[in-house]
Amino acid sequence: MAKKRERLEVIKDILRVVRESRSIKPTRLLYSSNLSPQMFKEYVNELLKKGFIKMNDEGDNKKTFSITNKGNEFLQQYKVIETFVENFGL
Amino acid sequence: MYDWIITNKELLKIFYGLVLALVCLIIVLKTHKLFKLSLHQGIRYFRNAFFFYCLAFLSRYILGALNYYGYLADYSFLTKVLFEFFLVMGGFFLLYSLLWKKIEPFGADYDSSLFNAKILLFYFMTFIIVALDYLWVSYNFMIISQIIIFLSATAISYLNYARNGSRHQFLKFYFIAILLSLIAWILNSSLQYFDWSRGILINVYILNIIFFLLFLYGVIKLSSN
Repeated sequence: MAKKRERLEVIKDILRVVRESRSIKPTRLLYSSNLSPQMFKEYVNELLKKGFIKMNDEGDNKKTFSITNKGNEFLQQYKVIETFVENFGL
Repeated sequence: MYDWIITNKELLKIFYGLVLALVCLIIVLKTHKLFKLSLHQGIRYFRNAFFFYCLAFLSRYILGALNYYGYLADYSFLTKVLFEFFLVMGGFFLLYSLLWKKIEPFGADYDSSLFNAKILLFYFMTFIIVALDYLWVSYNFMIISQIIIFLSATAISYLNYARNGSRHQFLKFYFIAILLSLIAWILNSSLQYFDWSRGILINVYILNIIFFLLFLYGVIKLSSN
């Protein structure tokens, strides 16, 4: 059985998908994230609140997500953050 | 050596306060960038713990120095209340940094991690502990609270080490640091009840220094690329 992903790892996975797609629709991001719709909503809300991604309104009810500078910086430093958190059991 | 320590103990205590305040300050500053980048709640509570420890030892250093040079009328009251308050708060935050994932709902966020409804409980309990010690003219309530806190933290950090110690090397040092602090608090409590040699107090100070230096080592090693 696959190991349950840690919160930080899920955040990294979502951000990577958003970064690689540059601009991605919520439904496509949901499929790529391998999360339940409820969990997906919670993670996306957290990422929006933290300013790691932003929502773009492209008209005709077409909404997409894109990564922010802060989100990019998080991905660059992800390994350091993950190592720190796991070594201190936080 | 022992005689020299006893003769200069007041000066050494001041120096001890300064060194530990600086160690805690470095830990808080070194983790600033990691927290700003990740906004990780665990890192946030970990930093809060060392922020309060820094205040505790800074208050001890400043008040100790003022007292040493004769500028302070009531040294014992101020030191007892301030030092004890900040130290107990630090202990609560350190334990909470290990527990928060099991307690907080997903995505919970607070405008301030130092002042919010949940943290008010820490302030309230700390206030009660400090007040009881003040009324009973003792350190017993602080010592008992710290033994409970570090006993719990020892159990959690041991479980973390047993589960992930092979992949994350610092979990072993974390467990050792917490265990040393628990031993220091137990030794401290024994001084309240048994008329042992006061030299045992030196061991308590040494254990505390090792505790903070281990954390400093981990933070410096793991917070840089």
